[in-house]
Amino acid sequence: MASEAEASEIASFFERIVRERDLSLFVPFILGLASATPRTDPENPDQENPGRPTPQERLIFINPFAQTMMVVEGDSLQELGMKDGQPPASKASIDAMPCVKIVEGDGGSECVICLEQFEIDGVAKEMPCKHRFHGGCIEKWLKIHGSCPVCRYNMPVDEEEPGKKIEGADRERRVEGEIRVSFYVQESTRASEDSEQTPSGDFNASDSSSSPAADHDDMQS
Amino acid sequence: MVDFARVQKELQECSRDVERSGIKVSPKGDGSLARLIGTIPGPTGTPYEGGTFQIDIALPDAYPFEPPKMKFTTKVWHPNISSQSGAICLDILKDQWSPALTLKTALLSVQALLSAPQPDDPQDAVVAQQYLKDYQTFVGTARYWTETFAKKSSLGIEEKVQKLVEMGFPEGQARTTLEAVGGDENLALEKLCSG
Repeated sequence: MASEAEASEIASFFERIVRERDLSLFVPFILGLASATPRTDPENPDQENPGRPTPQERLIFINPFAQTMMVVEGDSLQELGMKDGQPPASKASIDAMPCVKIVEGDGGSECVICLEQFEIDGVAKEMPCKHRFHGGCIEKWLKIHGSCPVCRYNMPVDEEEPGKKIEGADRERRVEGEIRVSFYVQESTRASEDSEQTPSGDFNASDSSSSPAADHDDMQS
Repeated sequence: MVDFARVQKELQECSRDVERSGIKVSPKGDGSLARLIGTIPGPTGTPYEGGTFQIDIALPDAYPFEPPKMKFTTKVWHPNISSQSGAICLDILKDQWSPALTLKTALLSVQALLSAPQPDDPQDAVVAQQYLKDYQTFVGTARYWTETFAKKSSLGIEEKVQKLVEMGFPEGQARTTLEAVGGDENLALEKLCSG
């Protein structure tokens, strides 16, 4: 009883969304979040089950107006948080940054990442846009986002992350992990059901059951 | 681990410039530099003028390589700030963060956001709709909220909570009682003692 009431509540909720085109519901919303067993060993994150992908966290978005549903799972879920940020700089481009010696003339300048002054005769890393930082500071940043902290100059990025290429096809497929499903909710579901029932009943009776059966009878006799 | 040496420098730099910018950042009072309170004055010529807005700041472990988490604790009526939670929709606090930004420059950006709402990229859909459809009402509501929640009398709530905590009242209780009496610490004390 309870579940039936719940189901009809949900059904009427969807009907209402579609009927009223309520603006506040325009934003895709999260229908459910299912989580499963953690898939990696925290000590050794690279060691995953090599063969078979395990069920993971999964988000289901439903956008009633575009009438689409989107399932996002696993790795893409983590990427959602960092979407649109500049991807990490390629290792080659990080390694290629020249070291420059800080001389007296540069006096008073500081690394804007740690806010410490550069030491005279110390060494700084220089980006292609000529902005200078402590080597450790800028490398840490470029491994997260490959853009200059000061002017947003974009460093070259790797075409594909190396880790993904080496592993098998299973892994690649799972990394994509996004399923889009379209669905349609008819505005007048009830009405159409009612109107269809009678004619289709008649149709069945005359066409499929009586006449073939009659043919059969004729053949046999 | 948060780079506390940097945070310390930021706080010093910010306090040196407080007269000119009006922007304050101070530790929340639990001894840690990972939780801070920022204060920005409402920009002149906007419905927020005359108000002082408090912003709760939480520094993630990877700060400054990750943006500080900021949200308004002062209620504010603005298309890009949640009227319920105080959450701020601002790119530099998300994917456009750069470690060359500081708490002060981030707060300056938040202050600039108060001057230049972006209703097409709303955080609060209701406010954004009002801004677009009925601008006069929006201005009225925003001004009313500034008067009610962001004027001097409502300031210093943290200090008042702290005082009551030092007197021996639990923090949560002190806060809710202060809120219930509209921030009057004497009334709050009376209520706490009688309750």
